[in-house]
Amino acid sequence: MFQLANERVEKIKSEMQRYETKQSAIIPALYQVQEQYGWVSKEALDFLADLMEIPVAEIREVFTFYTMFNQKPTGKFHLQVCTNISCSMAGGRELTDYICKKLNVKPGDTTADGKFSVSKVECLGSCDTAPVMQNNFEYHENLNEAKIDQIIESLQKLN
Amino acid sequence: MLKCTVNGKEIEVAEGTMVIEAFKQAGEDIAHYCWHPGLSVAGVCRLCMIEVEGAPRLMIACNTQVTEGMVVSNNSAKVQEAVKWGLDFHLINHPLDCPICDQAGECGLQDQYMKFGQYDPEMAERKVKKRKVVDLGRKIVLDTERCILCSRCVRFTDEVTKTSELGIFNRGDRSEIGTHEDKPLDNDYAVNVVDICPVGALTSKDFRFKQRVWYLDNDSTVCNGCSTGCNVNVYYNEKGYFRVKPEHNKDINDYWMCDKGRNIFKHVNKENRLLKAIKKTEAGTQMMAPGAAAKDVASLIKNYSSDQVAVVFTGQYTNEEYEDAMMYIDKLGTKKVYHWVNNSESFDDFDGILLRGDKNPNTAGLIKALEAKSLNSTWEQLEAELNSGAIKLVILAGPELQEYFPDIQEKIQLFSKAENLVVLSSNPNPAYRDVDYLIPMKTFVEKKGSFTNFAGTVQKIQKMRLVVSQALSLGEAMQLMAGDELQIGASL
Ligand code: SF4
Ligand code: SF4
Ligand code: FES
Ligand code: FES
Repeated sequence: MFQLANERVEKIKSEMQRYETKQSAIIPALYQVQEQYGWVSKEALDFLADLMEIPVAEIREVFTFYTMFNQKPTGKFHLQVCTNISCSMAGGRELTDYICKKLNVKPGDTTADGKFSVSKVECLGSCDTAPVMQNNFEYHENLNEAKIDQIIESLQKLN
Repeated sequence: MLKCTVNGKEIEVAEGTMVIEAFKQAGEDIAHYCWHPGLSVAGVCRLCMIEVEGAPRLMIACNTQVTEGMVVSNNSAKVQEAVKWGLDFHLINHPLDCPICDQAGECGLQDQYMKFGQYDPEMAERKVKKRKVVDLGRKIVLDTERCILCSRCVRFTDEVTKTSELGIFNRGDRSEIGTHEDKPLDNDYAVNVVDICPVGALTSKDFRFKQRVWYLDNDSTVCNGCSTGCNVNVYYNEKGYFRVKPEHNKDINDYWMCDKGRNIFKHVNKENRLLKAIKKTEAGTQMMAPGAAAKDVASLIKNYSSDQVAVVFTGQYTNEEYEDAMMYIDKLGTKKVYHWVNNSESFDDFDGILLRGDKNPNTAGLIKALEAKSLNSTWEQLEAELNSGAIKLVILAGPELQEYFPDIQEKIQLFSKAENLVVLSSNPNPAYRDVDYLIPMKTFVEKKGSFTNFAGTVQKIQKMRLVVSQALSLGEAMQLMAGDELQIGASL
């Protein structure tokens, strides 16, 4: 049975009051789950559907539309490389390939040691410093291969 | 009323009319996928492009209201070019597997392509592959890469059934229609999404791969599945009957029908029919022509006085058949005429959409026919007279849709208390094994006539392809049993 901490349930309930429609609280609700578990399972979606009295398909639409919600557990460092237009034009896709090759993973997957996950995401709202990548909540801008090497090296050292 | 000009034709439309409706009203073709008259406007397919005089750019007809004096058109090169490109975008990731697609022949993509196709596509990227043959339960199969994301099916489950099983998941070129975790889509109206899907993304499990649609004829009639009387189209060819789809009637079923009604053609097909009359004899059984069997019954009836004969009706025959039957009942002279009401507990049920608990297309018609002759014997009287032996011969006009008569066995046992039981039926039933005469009847697609629905609306049914050509209508059977000859060509 899926469970969510009481204060998170309360938070979701109050978010539902905040907006004109309770659908507007779907994103905050998904965040509550993701903050507790690091990802959002299908059981979590059913749980939210019951809690919020919103059809589960509607919640899933929002959940799968946004790349910031994790559909499976991620590694310790979740590298989210932007491959939307500005970043793609500035080499974002090639950088993703570079990172994947370096870490020996496929986009969307996690390294065997559980340390890194790599995923392609949509616009991170930082087009002026493209290409951009987010490690968990931290931004890395104006990227190139040398910078990637540095970032990964320093993350490898953190344990 | 508002005046407007559509492709040069001046017409008047009601206030609030959308331009796309004005096109339909003017009889002008307009390409569209996402708009459906029974659903809300989505405006996502961008195919219904129009030029409005005085407007700087093209607009979509489904989301633009007609204003007084509006001049709109969709026959300029500019519009045609826009539709052509719109269509090409729809085809970017479409698999084009028409040869194995059930929708072929009635597919929106195919239809529009004939008019607006690029024929030489300029897309160089590889197609995004998506999931095929997704099983959505016992009724529906989903092919996500054929979907053009018009969202009709999503709006249907949101707005009509209010069950909201469907959604559009993921985004961009990976967007996919589906249910949460592929849960079955099995609400009572689910198959309507197959009809409204403009492409072959949603197909019916029952109909899939049975026939190519261009080998089917169809005729409109009325569903005999319940007292709502949805208007439907039945599809058939020389091999039999294959499917039923709803036909628009704004006063009765709008654009929809229930999924139970989709099965009303099954009992019609030959493999399920009673082909010959069966007479029980000392030696076992004897097969007879239906007409000969009815004449046989006529001579049997002569052995009894008129008040020893009872007739039991079900609400599954046409008004015209009841009328004829009453005439011959007069001739037989009996007043012992009864109405077998099936599942009386759920008789008044209504699901709030279409489905009614009265699983008879013509209960109202039967009641009216009985009242017209002041025939008001009760079921208790029938039981009492069967038990006392006062009734010697029962003629049962049995149900065409037997599955809705769960008490068939029980009732036959009751009627069998009479010395002779004659059952008129389009289909065999294990419960009929020991009846004295079993005479084949026509089904609702093999005769003309009308049904009166729960609200008193009289609707015509049509004669389509005969499956059992010797089968009788109720009127014919009663006529023969009353000792009259059938007139050649008089058959309904
Ligand atoms: S499955 Fe069919 S009806 Fe549903 S969105 Fe796709 S194309 Fe439209
Ligand atoms: S609601 Fe009744 S009449 Fe309409 S399709 Fe269903 S069974 Fe037939
Ligand atoms: S496209 Fe990458 S940040 Fe906007
Ligand atoms: S029909 Fe108008 S946008 Fe689809």
